[in-house]
Amino acid sequence: MVNLKLEDISMKYEKKYILENLNLDVEHGELLVLLGESGCGKTTLLKIVAGIIEPEKGKVLMDNSDVTHLSPQRRRIGYVPQAQVLFPHMTVKKNISFGLESQKLSKEEIEEKIQWISELAHLEELMERYPSEISGGQKQKVALARAMAIEPHLLLLDEPLSSIDAMGREELALTIRRIQKETETTALYVTHNQEEARLISDRVGIMYDGKIQQLGNVVDIDSSPHNYLIAKIMGTPNIWSVDFIEEESNATVLSTNLGKIKIPAKIQRKVTGINIPPTSFKISFKYNEISKEKDSFFVKGYIKSVIQIDEKTDRFVVEIVSNTIEYAKIDVEKTLITADISPNQEIFLNVDPLEIRIL
Amino acid sequence: MMLNKFKEKYSRDEFTNSFIIILAVIILGTFLLSLFFIPLFRILQYAFYSDSQFSFSMFFSTISNSTNLIFLARDTLAQALISTVFCLLIGIPASYFFAKYDFKGRKVIINLLTVPFVLPPIVVLLGFIVAYGEGGWVNVIWRNIFNTENSLISIFGTYQGIIFAHVFYNLSVIIRMTIPAWESLDFDQIEVARSLGASNWRIFRRIIFPQIINYIISAALLVFVYTFNSFAIVLFLGEARFQTLEVRIFKQMKDSLNFSGGASLAIIQLLVNTLIIILYLWFERKTRQMALGKEKGLQKTKLRFSKRNWKINLRTTGIILFIILIGLFTFAPIFAVIIESFIPFSEGVSSLWGYKQLLSNEHMNILNNSPLRLLLNTLLFAVVATIITLILSLLIVLVLRNRYESLRKYRKPLAEGLISYMIILPMATSSITLAIGLFLQYRNTIIYQSAVWLFIILSHVLISIPFATRSILSAYNRIDIELLNVASTLGASRLRIFRKIELPMMMRGILVGGIFSFAISLGEFGATNFLVRDVFGTLSIGISKLITSQTLQLPATMASILIIITVLCFLIIQKIGEVELKV
Repeated sequence: MVNLKLEDISMKYEKKYILENLNLDVEHGELLVLLGESGCGKTTLLKIVAGIIEPEKGKVLMDNSDVTHLSPQRRRIGYVPQAQVLFPHMTVKKNISFGLESQKLSKEEIEEKIQWISELAHLEELMERYPSEISGGQKQKVALARAMAIEPHLLLLDEPLSSIDAMGREELALTIRRIQKETETTALYVTHNQEEARLISDRVGIMYDGKIQQLGNVVDIDSSPHNYLIAKIMGTPNIWSVDFIEEESNATVLSTNLGKIKIPAKIQRKVTGINIPPTSFKISFKYNEISKEKDSFFVKGYIKSVIQIDEKTDRFVVEIVSNTIEYAKIDVEKTLITADISPNQEIFLNVDPLEIRIL
Repeated sequence: MMLNKFKEKYSRDEFTNSFIIILAVIILGTFLLSLFFIPLFRILQYAFYSDSQFSFSMFFSTISNSTNLIFLARDTLAQALISTVFCLLIGIPASYFFAKYDFKGRKVIINLLTVPFVLPPIVVLLGFIVAYGEGGWVNVIWRNIFNTENSLISIFGTYQGIIFAHVFYNLSVIIRMTIPAWESLDFDQIEVARSLGASNWRIFRRIIFPQIINYIISAALLVFVYTFNSFAIVLFLGEARFQTLEVRIFKQMKDSLNFSGGASLAIIQLLVNTLIIILYLWFERKTRQMALGKEKGLQKTKLRFSKRNWKINLRTTGIILFIILIGLFTFAPIFAVIIESFIPFSEGVSSLWGYKQLLSNEHMNILNNSPLRLLLNTLLFAVVATIITLILSLLIVLVLRNRYESLRKYRKPLAEGLISYMIILPMATSSITLAIGLFLQYRNTIIYQSAVWLFIILSHVLISIPFATRSILSAYNRIDIELLNVASTLGASRLRIFRKIELPMMMRGILVGGIFSFAISLGEFGATNFLVRDVFGTLSIGISKLITSQTLQLPATMASILIIITVLCFLIIQKIGEVELKV
């Protein structure tokens, strides 16, 4: 169990920086998820930590010792790549023992460790099979067991769930989490899927433009994303970018795809977007029933679908009437739904500007 | 201080890797330089230097010589073009039938179609003579049926005879290489196009044609190269009237001792070959790119007869007849050779005479050796050439796929670029030119005088390397780089990764490449025929010496042995291919 520290890592690919002065701390026994869109440099960063590629600039520190130029062989790292890459000509058991055989261990010790990890990952039944004879999810479990068998200082996972079908995903995610916690291994987990981050992470780092843009636990980032892009990567519902801003004496007018929104206050910081929480909408099915408080934000739309959230709440997906096609998600208490909802039902929405979150 | 810094920066592993790569580059460089590039330079020297003065005059007088021009234009370029067109005309419909229709024995026939192509050229020639020659089966049957003195086919000293033989020899290349083209077509695309209202012609022109054209072009370029450089067939069937550049060069060097003339022609030939090979590599890469990510292919239709639909019956009958004709055309010469080996050449001789003669010394004056010794020479040369070829090809692959360099520095390493260009040229060099280079460079050395067999083997190695390298490389390219990355994070050293991961995963490619090299060496004729002296002949050389004799029983026997060994090699390749599909 170590802590990992990345200092000013930079990496160029075809003249463009994919990583630029990136800094990151991963603490002892922590599982940190790097969340970012495809091509943001996550995999490259992982390979730099693994020692497979060398950064152009910067340092990789494990427990404060510099390993930047150390070969992968000597870093003692468990690496689980994206596709389920098992050695196709070896059985599951041989795959798992491969790393152990590189260490100077006795046969008994190797057997012992294989036994231990196969039980931990529930692979006992599969040990004599070849990779072509097991499922995708099982392959990935074997890849995980193979990486964990050497009792790595650090576990690196590159989108380990991306090629697994929906059924197996959650189970595998929880297996990864369980093994990581039981072995108290420090882990860096890379994905573009925010749901995985929610399921598995201790902390999340949002990554784009070659840097970690925001770091924290899921709840903190959800409640205060630094900007529009971070909210988007986190999958926050009902966010819209702000195209331009007009300052008035005691108010600010934000232009969005929904229309102009007047916020009754001066905004001191940089505005990138807005977020209207699904519970902040007041609804009405008739125009004359909507409350027309002064300065409230008012739009019309059509209900496109209704999803039940729980026994008390429904979620409407509403197409907003505007210049572009925009959808809003609106959570409504069932008791408030007075009319029968018909397809394309007209709906009027009202939001108190003070409930709109500025991103 | 320096050393410490070095140690800090480079792990022992990278050091091992660099050491291996440097060693490989040195070995390959020395080999190619001494046995290919310096000899090639010597050829240039003969073409452009007279009285130690650089001059174009000899070169120009050679290539403007009208006889040479006729041989170049009519017998080499036009001949190769016509042969290729005929191969395409017959081969493409055939490959379509094989790709589209499913019937019993389909796979077996496709596999067998490759056999003529892997057979030694001299054996093919002999089979051709036995089947279609003046006294061959087809003509004898024709004369008996129609009670005439005239022959149906005349293959000796005729242009069409050469074309005919070339189509026979290369048809399988077109068929084998274009079956994947048809098979890669996604039937859904055609259905979609149909639902969008496209006519059949438009579907062919806009959907099918663009997807198969690259396969067809690369197959055609390959056949063009083979027929452009054809040697044995034209040497014997052309009867000096028709000569490819390859034959002309051989005759200039061996018979007329006109070294500068031969060298000049060799340069022309090399230029054309290089151009075609580069084009071929380009189109071949395009077909591979197109094949990427395609999962669904052409759906096969069962070939069947119907009780009601006469159109289906007509089609089925037509296709079956076509396939039978192609089968007869392809296999007749091979069977003819084997049967001929059992036909007594005169009364009172046993049908096993040929096989008994293998052990006799009666033919010393023609063969310089007993047939058995020729067989042993052949096998020994092939084994040694295969081993050397495999070692060198493996080294080439290691240099070309130096993962460490490209991963750590994110760019193509210098050695890779250098070697990949360095091996194109030997690919484009004809076997006679390779032999000439070796001959001109080393003929006055003691080693050449006393051990010409070594140069025969090395010429086989030079000819086989491109094939073996491609086979190993294609196996290597199928290894996911991430596997090697994982192996190194698991603590495996460079050597252990090679031994435990790369080598086992390349094994199929190595075996196929090895068997290919073995088969090439087994039947190599051009270079061997040029270099051979004294007792170092091979079976191919023996057959070529007996091919013009009246009795074909003994050469047919020798050829049958080559056929059996080649077919065995081929069956092993097929077997390995099957194993591969299961992994």
